Amino acid sequence: MYRNLTIQQKKIVWAWAFLALPVIFYLVIRFYPTANAMLISFQSWNLLGDRTWAGIENYARLWNDPVFWQVFRNTFVYLIIGTPVSLVLAFVIAYHLDKLAFMHGFLRVLYFLPFMTTAVAMAWVWRWFYQPIPIGFFNNTLGSFGLPQIEFLRSTTLALPAILAPAVWAGLGFQVIIFMAGLRAIPRSYYEAARIDGVSDWTVLWEITLPLLRPTIVFIVVFSSIGFLRIFDHVFNMTTGDPGGPLNSTKPLVLMIYQTAFADFNMGYAAAQTVVLFLVLLGVSLLQLRILQDR
Amino acid sequence: MAGLDLRNLVKAYGRTEVLHGISLHVDDGEFVVLVGPSGCGKSTTLRLIAGLDEPTSGDIEIADRNVNRLEPKDRNVAMVFQNYAIYPHMTVRKNIGFGLRTSRLPKREKEKRLEEVAAILEMTDLLERKPAQLSGGQRQRVAIGRAMVRDPDVFLFDEPLSNLDAQLRTLMRLEIKKLHQRVGNTIIFVTHDQVEAMTMADRIVIMNDGNILQAGTPSDVYYNPANRFVAQFIGAPSMNMLPGLVAPDGVRLRNGSTVDVRIDAREGRPVEVGVRPDDFILDGPDPFIEGTVVVREPLGHETLVYLETPAGELTAKAGGRTPPELGQRLALGADTASIHVFDASTGESVRRR
Repeated sequence: MYRNLTIQQKKIVWAWAFLALPVIFYLVIRFYPTANAMLISFQSWNLLGDRTWAGIENYARLWNDPVFWQVFRNTFVYLIIGTPVSLVLAFVIAYHLDKLAFMHGFLRVLYFLPFMTTAVAMAWVWRWFYQPIPIGFFNNTLGSFGLPQIEFLRSTTLALPAILAPAVWAGLGFQVIIFMAGLRAIPRSYYEAARIDGVSDWTVLWEITLPLLRPTIVFIVVFSSIGFLRIFDHVFNMTTGDPGGPLNSTKPLVLMIYQTAFADFNMGYAAAQTVVLFLVLLGVSLLQLRILQDR
Repeated sequence: MAGLDLRNLVKAYGRTEVLHGISLHVDDGEFVVLVGPSGCGKSTTLRLIAGLDEPTSGDIEIADRNVNRLEPKDRNVAMVFQNYAIYPHMTVRKNIGFGLRTSRLPKREKEKRLEEVAAILEMTDLLERKPAQLSGGQRQRVAIGRAMVRDPDVFLFDEPLSNLDAQLRTLMRLEIKKLHQRVGNTIIFVTHDQVEAMTMADRIVIMNDGNILQAGTPSDVYYNPANRFVAQFIGAPSMNMLPGLVAPDGVRLRNGSTVDVRIDAREGRPVEVGVRPDDFILDGPDPFIEGTVVVREPLGHETLVYLETPAGELTAKAGGRTPPELGQRLALGADTASIHVFDASTGESVRRR
């Protein structure tokens, strides 16, 4: 029977043969739990007992939970500070690294290294940086200049940026590489033509380089936004004694979900939070694609 | 006056010298084509003139002004690139206007110039389009337009036609030539295509291995090639070369026959006799070599015939209607006036008129 197929049909058969495994995997590991989570968000369940129908009770509770709104705000602060800061940093680094021949490879490795390091190890190193005298690196440095101490991780205002910094740093290497690939893809003659026309470097940057990098920028913005909205391991590891920081000032949505599910065993409530996160991710990504993509 | 002078121009990348001290004078309004095989240094020369690269030594003068130390923008040149270098995210209007960004003209004057250029290039209707909506030839014209608005002393073209298909290339060739006759600026045009060079140039400069081998009018380099390289590079199919020795009554070929050319050289000196395929007379009087037809290439109005001869494979042209048969033996001769002779070791012509 197979022999009677056209070449095109045979190709399709083979394509599906290879696709079958990931498709089954995705159905079982991804789509089933996703659908299940949406179902659980309308139920009450403590992981061991029976599931009972709860209607929109979980969502109503979420709406009236001040902690949730605090967490919601935190999550967006991670996004709104983290994405632009890492975008600009990554571009500035890539832009200059691209022009540099000396130690180019070495520097690129240095920037990429944090991306390959496990978040847990990194979080603990940064946690050590932030400790008070005589342990913490930053405070020791401040102290040796006679400057006052800063309670990085115990301040309700500073704890979030203090955790965001290593998270930005960790993702930077990847973004630098992507930006450099984008920069390399711009033909050199574009710049040479601009040189002959005599426009300034500033004009070249704003009117040639950046517009041509648009697809790269769209990718990085969406990609890093998703990353910041899902931030968890840095926060969890840097504030282990008091997960979520002082007065929940650093707690992101994913951490709240984790605590609700596996500390309070309130699966229905956790599932409702998950659904909210899912909708936020979906909304933000679609919005960004819409705004940034070429009209 | 907006002529151009290159004096002893040398360019080296590290230890590799790619341009070995070339000198060239270009008159105001002249259309000069630099032609040669890839890697001959023609594009390097152009980039040096534009100021995109710095010469290792030597001088560049544009309009009687030494520009060695000037930035590209201060040289008053414009360049059209092989890939056009027009910006995909800008409209045609913005692309052409980009050439005027730094000029101090008032805005209205700029607009006027832009419209004029668009009119000359017949692009007025296309000004609001993006490059992706244009054909290859139209993009080419945008690139030329961007160069034109600046009204430069010298236009530089870097193989601008090589991305176009054959038909469009012929068309653009004509358009650029017309444009030159109309605006009259000095043009330096780089190509590897000898047909392009022959058809467009006031003067052809043939380069090889970082040297200028000959500079002259198209007919000059065709009828009076200074050396073997030029002789074989210009003209298609290539000139035939028959090895021989200088004899009292001409050049003695390996097959024993004598080609009747008087040359001013020591007897017994090894030379090569050059005959263009067009110049072979088939089965005429006084043939000097015989051969068997092995391949025929009909081109319609004429047929190229490849012959197996004692001097190796030779190419000749025959009529289109009654070409010789495969396997047919032909006697080849040529008019004395059309025969070239080159020194076998140096390749220099020993019979220049």
